[in-house]
Amino acid sequence: MDNNLRCIIDAKNIVKIYETGYEELKVLDDINIKVMENDLTAILGPSGSGKSTLMNVLGCLDLPTSGQYFLDGVDVLKAKEDQLAEIRNKKIGFVFQKFNLLPRLSALQNVMLPLLYRGIDEAEAREIAKEKLNLLGLGDRLTHRPNELSGGQQQRVSIARAIVGNPPLLLADEPTGNLDSKSSMDAIEIFKELNKEGNTIIIITHDTEVAEQMKKVVFIRDGQFFENN
Amino acid sequence: MKLKQLLKIVLINIYHNKMRTFLTTLGVIVGTATIFLVVAIGQGGEAQVNEQYSRLNVGTIMVMPAQRGRVLDPLTKEDAELFQASQNIKMAFPILNGSGSMKYSNYSSNGTYYGILPAYLEANNLTINQGRFLDDTDESKRERVAVIGAGLAELLTDGNPTEILDKTLDLNRRKFVVVGILNRMGDSGSPQGFDDTAFIPYSAAERYLLGTRANPTINAIAAGVDTVQAAIQDITTILNGNHLRGGSEQFRILDAGSRLVAAQETARTMSLLLLSVAVVVLIVSGIGIMNVMFVTVKERTKEIGTLKAIGAKKREILGQFLIEAVVISLVGGILGVIIGVCMVPLLTYFEILAIPSLSGVLIGLFFSVTTGLFFGFYPAWQAADLNPIDALRYE
Ligand SMILES: Nc1ncnc2c1ncn2[C@@H]1O[C@H](COP(=O)(O)OP(=O)(O)O)[C@@H](O)[C@H]1O
Ligand SMILES: [Mg+2]
Repeated sequence: MDNNLRCIIDAKNIVKIYETGYEELKVLDDINIKVMENDLTAILGPSGSGKSTLMNVLGCLDLPTSGQYFLDGVDVLKAKEDQLAEIRNKKIGFVFQKFNLLPRLSALQNVMLPLLYRGIDEAEAREIAKEKLNLLGLGDRLTHRPNELSGGQQQRVSIARAIVGNPPLLLADEPTGNLDSKSSMDAIEIFKELNKEGNTIIIITHDTEVAEQMKKVVFIRDGQFFENN
Repeated sequence: MKLKQLLKIVLINIYHNKMRTFLTTLGVIVGTATIFLVVAIGQGGEAQVNEQYSRLNVGTIMVMPAQRGRVLDPLTKEDAELFQASQNIKMAFPILNGSGSMKYSNYSSNGTYYGILPAYLEANNLTINQGRFLDDTDESKRERVAVIGAGLAELLTDGNPTEILDKTLDLNRRKFVVVGILNRMGDSGSPQGFDDTAFIPYSAAERYLLGTRANPTINAIAAGVDTVQAAIQDITTILNGNHLRGGSEQFRILDAGSRLVAAQETARTMSLLLLSVAVVVLIVSGIGIMNVMFVTVKERTKEIGTLKAIGAKKREILGQFLIEAVVISLVGGILGVIIGVCMVPLLTYFEILAIPSLSGVLIGLFFSVTTGLFFGFYPAWQAADLNPIDALRYE
């Protein structure tokens, strides 16, 4: 491993406990994870093992009950609400299982959004967004709305939206979960390609076939990592 | 995010929900139109009141029988002379008022006539257009002459008023020669419209038309605005001394100043009443907006989560939903003002004077936007305050 690489994720002793009325549910139990620049990591585990919860913590969408978390050198647990929004905007690109595109906006407008929230003006945002959509083979679908696109196309739009701001980290939660096998393979190829270009990617999945294609696989069960070599 | 972009997204969202937006704005439309019309009617009413009283000197005091019809002990010309002798009163003159048929050549009409002393015309700021005023000789000789209002002259001559000059006017089957036509006062149709009235010498009215039925009122003009109360006091004293059967109780003493104030107050109360109706309508429509915004926020909870995931700050979500509420209410406000403007001719048709004004437009829009802001705030705040992960998980 190259020692000059940045440490993108450095999380220690992450615990997440949900209090559901009468009982406490420890969904993440002392998770330690380090992700270096240009890693392509799969977090693999069965349904209910805490994968999404972990991704939400790593994605600064949710705070852990306890632990320590540095993202690209920033102490996430000390950040205030607006700073967290800024971290999500600049440091993370999300790819969701259900794509989470805004239904009333066109593909292009969807991809422009992260840049607009960054304060970049419209003309520039449009150019960058077009470029990314072209890259993902959607150059002729710019004005289509999500319901006018296939699942695979929607997922590619959402990948374009995730990478449009060049964030240091891409987080994908079951990105192939709502896709047919052909589209799934395409999506995996896209992630591999993006990784070759230098992107750091974490893909969360319960699908061993998907995980096997990543450079590194971490197993999670009942909120704990375990080695399986 | 820049405001322009936020606005664009809001407009896309609103456009997508045209029907719902329109239904939501209905209340705002009605409320804003009402406010606009209230302002217009209020200004019309005030203008009308001021116009009606503009000819009346604020120092004018009217003394009249307290009840309509026959009075036991009516006012007399002598009362007026006694009033005038008071140092608080500049002038006082009796007025006889009657109504009946008026005929000239082929035309006839029913109308009012006043039996007056020559000073009356001047005291009411009436000016002559053709011929001459009534004078003291007419009064002392009980001449059967008349000066008539411009409207009446027009009516009787079918639009050729000057021809009636020096001709005979048949007043309750008594012949009077028209010696003058007044300038138009613009009060045609109003209860005491000078334009529709004939003026004849007091003495002639007493002798030829009313006889013992004469039941005059007296107009007194106070020496100054600040002596009005003293003048009223003097008048009361004189009436008590001069009308032993019944005293001053049987008469009503009104001064123009307080009547003007009362009339303005009535107009204002009316406006206020309409305004509160409008405000109630707007509050109800505001609750409608709030309701719709709650539904919208609920429907878009997942989207709000997505927006937060890609970097939307709290204030940007708040801004987006507030702008949405304001745009909805502004659309309603603009439609309301347009409808209000279109209603003005309709009101005019029903003889309600409404004066549309820029201030009415601005007040209407201000209220509509305020409604949107006020009632949109809580739902917008709820959207902004959502936890990103809770919003994303919402199904
Ligand atoms: N907000 C919550 N409140 C209570 N329990 C939760 C909440 N979110 C997730 N859980 C529970 O945490 C566990 C892990 O969920 P999740 O991270 O979504 O699993 P995975 O993504 O691996 O399927 C599940 O048992 C789930 O029911
Ligand atoms: Mg999951």
